[in-house]
Amino acid sequence: MMNSAPSPVLQLRLPLWRSRMMLAFVFAGFMTLVGRAVFLQAWDTDFLQQKGKSRTVRDIEIPAYRGKITDRNGEILASSTPVRSIWAIPDDVKASRDQLRDLARALDLPVDELDKKLGDTDREFVYLKRQLPPEEAEKVAELNLPGVFQQREFRRYYPAGEVAAHVLGFTGMDENGQEGIELAYQQSLAGKNGSRRVVKDRRGNIVEDVAGVQAPREGKDLALSIDSKIQYLAYSQLKQAVELHKAKAGGIVILDVKTGEVLALANLPTFNPNNRNNLTGQQLRNRVLTDSFEPGSVMKPFTISLALDEGKITADSTFQTAPGRYKIGTATISDSHAMGILNVSQIIEKSSNIGTAQIALKLQREDMWNMFNRSGFGTAPQVQFPGAVGGRVRPAKSWRPIEQATMGYGYGLSVSLLQLARGYTIFARDGDIIPVTFQKAEGPAVGTQIIAPQVAHMMRGMLELAAGPHGTAPRAQVMGYRVAGKTGTAHKQEGNGYSHDKYRASFVGFAPVSNPRLVVAVMIDEPSDGRYYGGDVSGPVFSSVMGAALRALGVAPDAPMKPIVLPSAAEQVRENT
Amino acid sequence: MARTASLRGAIGGFGGGTVAPSRFADYDEGLVWVSVLLLLIGLVMVYSASIAFAEGSSFTGHRPQFFLVRHLISLGMGALAGFAAFQVPMDKWQRWALPLFLLGVAGLVVVLIPGLGRSVNGARRWIPLGLMNVQPSEIMKLLAVLYTADYTVRKAAVMHSLKQGFMPMAIAMIFIGWLLLREPDMGAFVVVVTIAMGIMFLGGMNARLFFGLIVVLGVSFTLLITFSEYRRIRVIGFMNPWDDAFGKGYQLSHALIAFGRGEWFGVGLGGSVEKLFYLPEAHTDFLLAVIAEELGLVGVLVIIMMFFWLVRRAFEIGRQALALERVFPALVAQGIGLWLGVQTLINMGVNMGLLPTKGLTLPLMSFGGSGILMNCVALAVLLRVDYENRRLMRGLKS
Repeated sequence: MMNSAPSPVLQLRLPLWRSRMMLAFVFAGFMTLVGRAVFLQAWDTDFLQQKGKSRTVRDIEIPAYRGKITDRNGEILASSTPVRSIWAIPDDVKASRDQLRDLARALDLPVDELDKKLGDTDREFVYLKRQLPPEEAEKVAELNLPGVFQQREFRRYYPAGEVAAHVLGFTGMDENGQEGIELAYQQSLAGKNGSRRVVKDRRGNIVEDVAGVQAPREGKDLALSIDSKIQYLAYSQLKQAVELHKAKAGGIVILDVKTGEVLALANLPTFNPNNRNNLTGQQLRNRVLTDSFEPGSVMKPFTISLALDEGKITADSTFQTAPGRYKIGTATISDSHAMGILNVSQIIEKSSNIGTAQIALKLQREDMWNMFNRSGFGTAPQVQFPGAVGGRVRPAKSWRPIEQATMGYGYGLSVSLLQLARGYTIFARDGDIIPVTFQKAEGPAVGTQIIAPQVAHMMRGMLELAAGPHGTAPRAQVMGYRVAGKTGTAHKQEGNGYSHDKYRASFVGFAPVSNPRLVVAVMIDEPSDGRYYGGDVSGPVFSSVMGAALRALGVAPDAPMKPIVLPSAAEQVRENT
Repeated sequence: MARTASLRGAIGGFGGGTVAPSRFADYDEGLVWVSVLLLLIGLVMVYSASIAFAEGSSFTGHRPQFFLVRHLISLGMGALAGFAAFQVPMDKWQRWALPLFLLGVAGLVVVLIPGLGRSVNGARRWIPLGLMNVQPSEIMKLLAVLYTADYTVRKAAVMHSLKQGFMPMAIAMIFIGWLLLREPDMGAFVVVVTIAMGIMFLGGMNARLFFGLIVVLGVSFTLLITFSEYRRIRVIGFMNPWDDAFGKGYQLSHALIAFGRGEWFGVGLGGSVEKLFYLPEAHTDFLLAVIAEELGLVGVLVIIMMFFWLVRRAFEIGRQALALERVFPALVAQGIGLWLGVQTLINMGVNMGLLPTKGLTLPLMSFGGSGILMNCVALAVLLRVDYENRRLMRGLKS
């Protein structure tokens, strides 16, 4: 080796052990590196790779196509169109002023707003603009700016706009149902998003797929029971009436008597689901389903039919309603004017509170409660719709006689308009009640018998009189069809009592009487142009919607085609409120 | 390699082979080939590590070959400079050691003058000279080797003395260290001080003094870190990168992930994910991490072995020169070995999380014009020492 031939002098001055020691130190250092490399690359790999994956591996959702919603005839009510959202990593955006101006123009954003978004350089992800149509997004892509990315999404579009807004509801930015049918059928409409597991670079570009692509399960299309034509009719007539009577709000619902399908459902005020800026709670409220109110006289048929069904009264039973006031315990109830002796049919026709109260008091309160309950009041309807309310019917045990009497004509309990419409299928059918549905039905509905078919038949006759020239709602008549129905004009509750000038005018009826096909229930909240009777305010809406809907469905007329007879103003029968 | 081994056996009885030379080579082929191999692997890896970064950056004009082209130019200039340096006899190097050193110090001063030096990321390290940026601290590393070797030879008689042998050099080093820390270039500071200390130790400095100094340096280094936030932050990041993995430990944590992803045989050339904007400085200080990820443990071990082979060869050449009673070349050769060894150790230690992060490149491999150029010159000088050794052994003039 080296020290075989050194000179002694040199060795003294430059000791070789120092060189060897130094090299040994370097060697030790390198061996430490080797050990560390083995540790990192052959031992600690799971930990390190896990850390790496958490930073580089990302699951990308492949959005499932959300199912279309159509009406019963296949007309599209809601569908999803592809859009793109533009986002950026502010720190990575390197663009000249000119390029930024171009970008702002392509995004239709003010330049300073764009500057503000891109100025937030601490953030790794900023949306510049969401849900841009593909052709506009393409213009952004053509600018080819680093740090600006696009994300494919879907946007929900509602061709019917505000007309069917409350039925359909809407989806949020992320296409999740938030209201209405969109929420109720979220699971089947949404399908299941697929995913891709990928490695991304720090700027979000996909480098490679690391796992098989999980294909999305597309959402199912949904055919609703709604008939677009009838829906439009119902909406436009309701809107006219609400505007004409300067009302606060209104609701209408149309049921198919045979199938229980909801053919139309509309509310006012409403909203445009395609542009939901500045939405108010008032606009969003689906009054037909989610509001309960004291119905008033529209409840009378339920009380009377029960009495008839139980044999407590017959069609010929008569009741003394004079002198227009009636004492029950310490309380006094009244009719708007004295009507003398009335038979059952006249009590309905003229809508006598006193007559109905006397009938109600013949009944067991438990039986009345049962009748209401089995007719669907006081329990939420078995309908797949978010927020549908059950209204309130107090337990029979707590009813005092005066309450039993007033409940007989619709005070002291609360119901929704949909419950009322459904309840009337008892009279429109042969005494059985059917479930309602928003989905297109395959066949006729199976009902639950509530009252005897003969009683239902009898009620149809009485309700036809109520909607006739001498009833409380002559304006509900339809040319060519026999109609039946009942008005309700209820004082609204205000504070602890009843308001004397705020009303809810309603009408629930069905047609044609010879073989009922549709139930239409109309409610107008706080008409304020002077007229407030259900017959005057809601009756005409019922009339025009029912007539047009029956014709649209091709239902054969069962009455002669002659002009409707309206009583003179003096003869007009006013119901009791 | 067999031929190299037989040559080495012929030259000085290294390795104990039979002494039966049929011919002498003029230079150490093994050293040349290992160096060229490291340079070429470095070229490939710099390209691989920088391609995505270059393509995604506007200052490169989004040209993926931006760093490749510049690295190629550096290699070309390094080859030319190395060839020129090889022509310079060692006694000329010795004669010019002091003036060159003073020139180097001047460079370190110039780089600090605002307007002349250019600063990148808060460190003022470059003097822009049109075609390329010169990094005086890189040049200083070789000049420190030459100067300290010359100093040690000249002061051979008093090297054991603190006042006459050690102090003048210590003062020079404190001045240079101060200049380097002004940039700041902590990495170059450590390398230069290590070179100076190492050569003086090899040159006969009092051993007790030397080890005492190491203790003093260790203590003062600790103090430096304690009182400078810039350096302390770097230290805290390295102690446990996972505590603040998205803050101070960000760079190191990604380097470690790269090692972990590489496993035994790597993810394949070009397959690194960490280089895709995650790992900052992938093509310079953290090139080894990309090598580890793409070529695996096997690649890293091969690189480590080649570097150690290089260092060991430099020390051998040095001892050989010593045997031929050529003290200055002996110290220069070992100094160069020490430089390459220490810088490699530090860079790799930083990459693997054994040492705090400091701005040091991997010799011969990392991107960086001045670094590559000076590495080439240093190897040329090393080859020159060996060349003169061989000539002397053949009885020729050096």
